[in-house]
Amino acid sequence: MSGLGLSMKSLRRHRLRTVLAIIGIAISAAMLLDMVMLSGGIEKTFAELLMAKGYQIRLSPKGTLPFDTEATLSAAARTVETLRGDQTIEAAGAVLGTSLYGQAEDSLVTLFGYGIQPEAQGLYWLQQGSDLSPGDTTGVLLSAAAASLLESIIGDTVTLVSRLDPQVVAGAVSREMVVRGLVRWVYDYRGQPSVGTVLPVMQAIAYGGREDRASLILVKARDDHAAAGVAARLRQEFPRLEVYSVADLVLFFKQRLVYFRQLSYILGSISLIVSVLLIATLLTITVNERLGEIATLRAIGIGRSTIVRQILIEGAVLTGIGAALGMVLGLGTARYLDSILTSFPGLPAAFSFFVPRRESLATAGLVLLLSGSLAGLYPAWLAARAPIAATLRSEAT
Amino acid sequence: MSTLPVLIGRDLCKDYPMNEAAVHALRGVSLEVGAGEYVAIAGPSGSGKSTLLQLIGGIDSPSSGTVEILGTRLNELSDRDLTRLRLTRLGFVFQRFHLLPVLSARENVELPMAEAGVRGKERRNRALELLAYVGLEHRAAHRATQLSGGEMQRVAIARALANRPALLLADEPTGELDAATGDEILTLFRRLNRDGTTLVVVTHDERLAAQAGRIVHMLDGRIQKAEEPSQAAVSPPRRPAAPL
Repeated sequence: MSGLGLSMKSLRRHRLRTVLAIIGIAISAAMLLDMVMLSGGIEKTFAELLMAKGYQIRLSPKGTLPFDTEATLSAAARTVETLRGDQTIEAAGAVLGTSLYGQAEDSLVTLFGYGIQPEAQGLYWLQQGSDLSPGDTTGVLLSAAAASLLESIIGDTVTLVSRLDPQVVAGAVSREMVVRGLVRWVYDYRGQPSVGTVLPVMQAIAYGGREDRASLILVKARDDHAAAGVAARLRQEFPRLEVYSVADLVLFFKQRLVYFRQLSYILGSISLIVSVLLIATLLTITVNERLGEIATLRAIGIGRSTIVRQILIEGAVLTGIGAALGMVLGLGTARYLDSILTSFPGLPAAFSFFVPRRESLATAGLVLLLSGSLAGLYPAWLAARAPIAATLRSEAT
Repeated sequence: MSTLPVLIGRDLCKDYPMNEAAVHALRGVSLEVGAGEYVAIAGPSGSGKSTLLQLIGGIDSPSSGTVEILGTRLNELSDRDLTRLRLTRLGFVFQRFHLLPVLSARENVELPMAEAGVRGKERRNRALELLAYVGLEHRAAHRATQLSGGEMQRVAIARALANRPALLLADEPTGELDAATGDEILTLFRRLNRDGTTLVVVTHDERLAAQAGRIVHMLDGRIQKAEEPSQAAVSPPRRPAAPL
């Protein structure tokens, strides 16, 4: 009979108690896993989102984060041309983000508009139809939500109207555009009705064509590893702009969401403590019930180390089974919680709070298994130090 | 009859602290048991007989005095060595059997052998031989909880014999059994002794004591009298029959 086999049999002695303990451990393990996924998941998914199209650097108006305010930078086309002349830079493209309206039958619907440079765009994946060409001043790309709102398909003509000034409604700019394709915008929240045109068209809609402005400029360095160095150099060259590498933005993001990380650490620690207490309590009760049996084993020559090993194995078996169930439960709850959290307005749909990764699974599993084994230490110590003669005497009375 | 000393207990005292006074459970008991002997320790409750058994079995230490098993002084051994000695040189049978309820009869018998490092197949075969010796080969696969009291005690005896002990110690082995079942254990002990096993049995049971080669009567922590073995009851040590 191996130690593991004996442990399994011992745990089966009180099935209901063991099952309840395993359920408790599984719930704690699920919570721990979710917290581990949450603590590292947000920044990883954010970094992945920023790198979705391979652009490692963002230039935005001084004092702002990309798309964080409605501030814009001037002389966008000239800045892009300068950047494209840099040998270390593979691609650069300006983006203007603005709100606007679309004509749907006899009413106007609110849209979000992207002005892009199609030859260097880092904002969308084409899903149907054709992409815009740099000189296409009549084409428009729609998100699925925008297409639905405007009741348009590829080839249809839609009317885009600039943001209305309540005082001069009649003065709004209006453009007839042909739908070239349906796209999925990288940073759109779920159900966001977004449209995209070439930059000059969106500038015309937003500013009446008088200003060469953009919300940010995306830059792709030729070498990923050199991106931080390129960003540092651009910071010197463009002192009137903010220059961010992906690492910088992830750092800002981490600082903003530090409470998420703290919360996940606290909840993760609590779930770990609950697991340890559950296992320790169960094993202590078991040991106390079996003191007579343990004293007998010691009397017939079974060593302390064998007894200790046996108790620790029982703790590890409980933890192992609970952790395995907890992993499944944790992944299920993470998916559910993720669907709730990512439906908050303003969050990119591609964003994920709970990212199941091999390392987070391994970390949670390892931490649990270690804690489970540690939880067995006290009951194992109790078992090992049980006085043989006194225990047998009290058993006999 | 001269026998080799398996056990020598000299001037054994055992005190238990009780509030500010001390209870003197043993007051200078000396006992020598030779190989092949069958000794019964009898006496009323509280006379110190179980305490004496625990001291000579190395599961408790005397307040003073010494115990030697096959020439090894127990008080000079480390806890690990003492545990090893109990495993390999001594066999224990308890009043309440104390089998592991989750294990089968065979697995219970295998436990001490597994601890002693006996390999799987050899261990299994010996466990089955021992169960056959105590008449339980047909119950080898049954869990301890599925056995009757007498059967459990016979499994406990088989477990005590697992590592071929030099001395078998039994504490009230018939205490939990009815008369008929107790008789089976008496018969088994007699056979064990006839086959060469040295036995020290603590008992209230007069019939069990009467079949021993020597009866040590205890009272108030002292040996009151020791009856010399009757010729009919003692067996000369002989080469142990398999599987002992």
